[in-house]
Amino acid sequence: MFGFESAKQVLPRLRGLASVVAIATLALPTALHAGIWDEGNIENGQALFNANCASCHLVSNEVLAAPGLAGIADRWGSSEEILVQWIQNPQAAAATGDPYVKSLVDRYVGTYGWMTAQAVSADDVKDIMAYVQNPPDVVASADTGTDCPTIYDAIEEEQSANGTIWFLILLTLFLIIALSAATVRKSLEKAADAAADSEDLPYGVRLQAWAWDNRTFVSILGLFVTAYLVVIGYQALMGVGVYQGYTPDQPVKFIHSVHVCENEVDCQYCHHSAYESKHAGIPSTNVCMNCHKAVKKGSRYGEVEIGKIYAAIGFDPESGTYLDGEGKNGYQGPQDDFQGEPLKWNKVHNLPDHVFFSHQQHVVVGGLECQNCHGDVGKYTVGRVAPVEEINGLVDDFPGLIELSKPTLTMGWCIECHNKAEISFASSGYYEDIHDRLKDDLRGNEELRRYMEDEKTTVKELGGWECSKCHY
Amino acid sequence: MADNKIYWSGLEELDRTPEFERIESQEFPAERPVDTFLADDRLQRANTGRRDFLKFMGFSVTAATLAACETPVVKSIPYTNKPEEITPGVANYYASTYYDGHDFVNVLVKTREGRPIFVKNNTETGFGRVNARVNASVLGLYDSARLQAPHLNGEATTWGDLDAAVTKGLSGNGRKVLLTGTVMSPSMKRAAAALAASSGVEHIQCDAVSYNAAVEAMEMEFGRRVFPSYQLDQAETVVSLNADFLGTWGDTVWYTQQWAKTRRPENGSMSRLHAFESVMSLTGSNADTRTRVKPSEQGRVAAALLRELTGQGAAVSLDEAVMAGVKAAAADLKRAGAKGLVIAGDNDVATQRIASAINRNLGAVGTTVKVNATPSLYQGDDKAMAQLVADMNAGRVSALIVDGINPAYHGADAEGFKAGLEKVGFSVSTALFADETASRCTAMAPTHHWLEGWNDLQIDAPRIELAQPTIQPLYNTRHTTESLMAWAGQPVDAYTFLRQTHNAAYTADAMYTDQDWNKGVHNGFLAVNVSEEAAPVHTGADLGGALRTVAAHKGGSFELDLYRKVAIGDGQQAGNPMLQETPDPITKTTWDNYVTMARVDMEAMGLNTYIAQEDPASVVKVTVDGKSLELPAFPQPGQTPGTVGIALGYGRGAGNEAIGKAAYQVGEGGDHLADAEGNLVPIGKNAFGLAPVVDGMPTRAAFDVSVEATGGTYPLACTQIQHTYMGRDSVVKETTLDSYLAEADVKRGDATWNKTIGLNVHDDINGDGEINALDKKAAGEFDLWHEHAVDGVGHRWGMAIDLTSCIGCSACVTACHIENNVPVVGKDEVRRHRDMHWMRIDRFYASDWDMERGEEEGLGVISTYGKMEEPGANPQTVHMPMMCQHCNHAPCETVCPVAATTHSNEGVNQMTYNRCIGTRYCANNCPFKVRRFNWFHYPGYDKFQNFNPAQDAIQRMVLNPDVVVRSRGVMEKCSLCVQRTQGAKLEAKKAGTPLEDGSAITACAEACPTNAITFGDLNDNSSEVRATYDNNRTYHALEEVGIQPNVAYLTKVRNTPKA
Repeated sequence: MFGFESAKQVLPRLRGLASVVAIATLALPTALHAGIWDEGNIENGQALFNANCASCHLVSNEVLAAPGLAGIADRWGSSEEILVQWIQNPQAAAATGDPYVKSLVDRYVGTYGWMTAQAVSADDVKDIMAYVQNPPDVVASADTGTDCPTIYDAIEEEQSANGTIWFLILLTLFLIIALSAATVRKSLEKAADAAADSEDLPYGVRLQAWAWDNRTFVSILGLFVTAYLVVIGYQALMGVGVYQGYTPDQPVKFIHSVHVCENEVDCQYCHHSAYESKHAGIPSTNVCMNCHKAVKKGSRYGEVEIGKIYAAIGFDPESGTYLDGEGKNGYQGPQDDFQGEPLKWNKVHNLPDHVFFSHQQHVVVGGLECQNCHGDVGKYTVGRVAPVEEINGLVDDFPGLIELSKPTLTMGWCIECHNKAEISFASSGYYEDIHDRLKDDLRGNEELRRYMEDEKTTVKELGGWECSKCHY
Repeated sequence: MADNKIYWSGLEELDRTPEFERIESQEFPAERPVDTFLADDRLQRANTGRRDFLKFMGFSVTAATLAACETPVVKSIPYTNKPEEITPGVANYYASTYYDGHDFVNVLVKTREGRPIFVKNNTETGFGRVNARVNASVLGLYDSARLQAPHLNGEATTWGDLDAAVTKGLSGNGRKVLLTGTVMSPSMKRAAAALAASSGVEHIQCDAVSYNAAVEAMEMEFGRRVFPSYQLDQAETVVSLNADFLGTWGDTVWYTQQWAKTRRPENGSMSRLHAFESVMSLTGSNADTRTRVKPSEQGRVAAALLRELTGQGAAVSLDEAVMAGVKAAAADLKRAGAKGLVIAGDNDVATQRIASAINRNLGAVGTTVKVNATPSLYQGDDKAMAQLVADMNAGRVSALIVDGINPAYHGADAEGFKAGLEKVGFSVSTALFADETASRCTAMAPTHHWLEGWNDLQIDAPRIELAQPTIQPLYNTRHTTESLMAWAGQPVDAYTFLRQTHNAAYTADAMYTDQDWNKGVHNGFLAVNVSEEAAPVHTGADLGGALRTVAAHKGGSFELDLYRKVAIGDGQQAGNPMLQETPDPITKTTWDNYVTMARVDMEAMGLNTYIAQEDPASVVKVTVDGKSLELPAFPQPGQTPGTVGIALGYGRGAGNEAIGKAAYQVGEGGDHLADAEGNLVPIGKNAFGLAPVVDGMPTRAAFDVSVEATGGTYPLACTQIQHTYMGRDSVVKETTLDSYLAEADVKRGDATWNKTIGLNVHDDINGDGEINALDKKAAGEFDLWHEHAVDGVGHRWGMAIDLTSCIGCSACVTACHIENNVPVVGKDEVRRHRDMHWMRIDRFYASDWDMERGEEEGLGVISTYGKMEEPGANPQTVHMPMMCQHCNHAPCETVCPVAATTHSNEGVNQMTYNRCIGTRYCANNCPFKVRRFNWFHYPGYDKFQNFNPAQDAIQRMVLNPDVVVRSRGVMEKCSLCVQRTQGAKLEAKKAGTPLEDGSAITACAEACPTNAITFGDLNDNSSEVRATYDNNRTYHALEEVGIQPNVAYLTKVRNTPKA
């Protein structure tokens, strides 16, 4: 979609804002030699538009946070100079008393507020207007321009793989037992009739005879079958409670790849409490609204999925304002008395109640990257437990990532890492103090020497394998 | 007209067939022979054989089991619009103030995700220390029995309809009365004044437990109608005349903290406490000398003290033993002079006046006792209350508004009040529950719980304490001031009203901009200017009348003392299961009140003096002026013979009122018991109103009562049934101040009162060339196990408990249990000794017997031990907090077959619930018996449905989310609040600074009002706990076992007078 494309590029381009501003302020204002509407550079204009205007305006006639700009050349009812001034300093333009500007102020400022003064030169405005009037066909570039494939698309998948395994096991078990029950009954019935009908040997007896005649084959086959069943059974049992690849359906078909990879939103923007709390947290809906107040359409599901956020928090996308308890809109912030149904997400990373895990311990103190436990989230749709092999594959992209072998979110995985992760005594005053205590004490010194035999101190050596570090 | 119908069972009977007659003669018909049954052909042809049946059965069970192995889906619901100050997983603390009509204390409230879960001391800016009642009050917030909407004539209604009805009710012609407890809130006083102005409503105050006599005495002595303010930190000698000021009497939250400051032997001196009482109280158990007196003698003891000190008054007749106690107390008071203090507890004006006169003669007024001009606590007026009840019964009261008290339960004339209430034109109560009073009122306008609303409170300090809401009101309730103002015709919201009390010009625009206010909310108080008060001047009133009154007090064969228990207090939190299950620090009994009696009296009456799981108490009937109560008799060491004691605060909800599920008795299956009429059975019996009213004031003593055995029995649930430590001096070490001071500078382990325990070794240790009994090695040097590297390595958490400071108040017990989600198990389980208390306070009485006396009297060892089990008649008492000692050589760890309990390198004995398989070997091997086994699934099993907070959908919100709720079949015990030490370490790591001493603190240490418990990092050489460990009073319990605990005790020092 046209509107979506420009909007979804807002965020990365915002990063360029600083440089654009710098360039723009250096550029000397030049007189307008020709018509502002048709002499600009479209490509440059697109860049400028995305950097400065796209957070509020669309080039279509749809409203984002301000009126759409389609057809502006036809409806602009004042001079070109006023247009430039209106963009550079709207209040100053209004102060000129220009009747068209006054009509704009009357019509829009009440609803959308004053436009922010933009640091663009008159030439820049020329380029922007060229782009606004002739936007390239962005739809074509939507599929080609992205480096962000969504690989782990769970939304289309059934449930987790666990379910399938159990289904198969159940089916096999049922078949085996049903068959054996049937044969037992049959053989019993036959045995009962055996006296009457001794000529025709029962099936079971004939099978026994055949097996005895081919005993080498039967025993080898039996061995293989048994071994196979043992291996399958073992694997199935070891998979109990392992949630690798667990990707539950979510009430909103949230796409991480769009947010994380395409739009480069930092993990902590939404999961900010990872730095402050034991929980990384699912972002509250008002955090979603920071962007989605402007971005009202998604690339894949259009307005449907984003609409669920609006329904939860009480937002009217038409007017761009919030609703109150009586469904009346016109509020700039979310209203406490709005009684929407909150979004009920399905928890992805489940730990049992008796496990204490703290994100801030690992992220702030341990300095771990999110990817070390959660994998390359930029390739996911909804949240998902990354299998350990996948995480290990990221080691080239994330130097310092600790490669592990046990399945993710199992205790083996946790303590394997605690045995590998190093602690630098010099890293903080806290560990320096611990180091000093070890150095200054006879027994501590001995202990320290033991730690340093492999020339590193691991989390385990400082108690990271002790039960009550995580269980209380 | 009766016609005799004949019924027959069949035609055979009618016909009397021979077959029938044969069968009738046999009571049991002959069985059908098995052979004939098996010989049935049809059986052999059954379609489903036994084996097939078993196969199908096995398959279906397996299939059902496997089908259950589905990935559980856990919901996670974030805030829609997250409040800025809340981060999920991070606790917020808010300064607030607790006041319930009796206790008044500044607190910090811990909230998680907007739920208050813990109440602790505000040590930085606050006054007072929380006690068990304040601590546990957080449970009451979530009680689902609370009124959830305004009610009119028993039906839920809207506030608008209610207000209309009240306004109409207030338009009557009779007396209109606002009846409250003591009001400490300036806003509430303003609202009462507004109501008086608008509808002529009088304001009468009345306290649940009356302190009226003390107030009246001050009025007669100094012309100031106030409750005196005692400054115990100034006192060198304190004499308590039946005033349990450390447990339940007066402003305990303030007294305990102040008194403890004078009880540090390291200062070189200690205050001395003399107690005169009949029932062993918490104060008496902590007294340096305790004299047993009868209630009728209290006044004479005061008079005798006055005479000893000043020569005033005539000689009074007292026992020799009592007189000796009086002389000792008088000598100490004389020595202390202005630093002496006499506190009288009885609600008797004469005694109160004499006590006041003693203080005045000592020159203590102004130092240890302050008589302020402005009233603060206990402003109740019993005479006005009595007049009100009389007017109500005479139909002269047209409207009654009741707030904060429950006179239909605790009133001196509760029956009269109830009868009168029916004749009042319109009555409304603001109680949280439809309690004894509220349920009988026309309307109920429930107010907020103290954690839900704003409040301002003023006690005798130049500041106004603030209480702030820590949660949105859970139910449709309304602040009392808001209700009163609505009824006064000036509707205003409670917050605006409160702000306007302190700044008349306040408008909503200034909600956040007043910096003084913001600071006040942060700190919990607003500083205000108070003009200097003139010193109180004695009125010169003659004491003669008072002296004559007390001299005339005469006792009968039995006398009654009504006391209060530390956990239940005046009974307003009767529905709080945590408090019901907190053992009384003296009797160690939970879930009941009872009649405390002296052992000799019980033996004389043939009552059971040994109460245990299968040995129920004997029930006695106590009769006072025709009113009687039947309660179990409890043998209380230290009880004055000829006296009985009954605790107030029990028997709540006798009329089936909805005051909380936990307020009623349950059967073994967990269902509420019901009497013949289907009424729920309250816990204990109500003793309010049992004692006579004298001079218009309800007393707490009756001088002539009869006690008779009923022959019935009743089981009591005690957590400790042994009373002495039977000469095991390594459990409790104690000495006197004089002996301590003589060896105050001796190194730890050398003092006579705290010698390191040595064990014999087969080695010539002392080098005398012989291997004999003199070759001893310190117990701590034996190593049966490998050393745990805890010293000098990282942290080593340690705790030191000063037995001198510990008064046994049980604030640590409730704090621990709320912090650690310790389940409430109910009376039946406590009786079976399956209580889950992680922290208990062992109470030991001294015995009159020891091995030497046994030898002298020619008793064998076994008989001597038998004698040593008996506490003395007036024993000295020790309170010893006991929890997991975190032994470095832990006996529990070595016997666990699955390594579920292990030692950490921080010195903590870890308990890993998810690994435990419940063999209970560890509990058997624990020398301190501090491990608790989860016999049941307490959060789900029916037996606990009526009192376990985790079983109530709302009350479970009080659970601490940082600590797991243990499941059935696992052991649990004190973890040294590992969630807190881990949290403090994380904070230090994040800040990149060494762990600060005091940043990691256990719930018990935090709650301790007397700072008896010190907790910290023993490897931090600058820490307080390290310094305490090196104190020469420090020892380890059961040191000779060689378990090397990380919890230490400090020898108890008593300031015993020289013999």
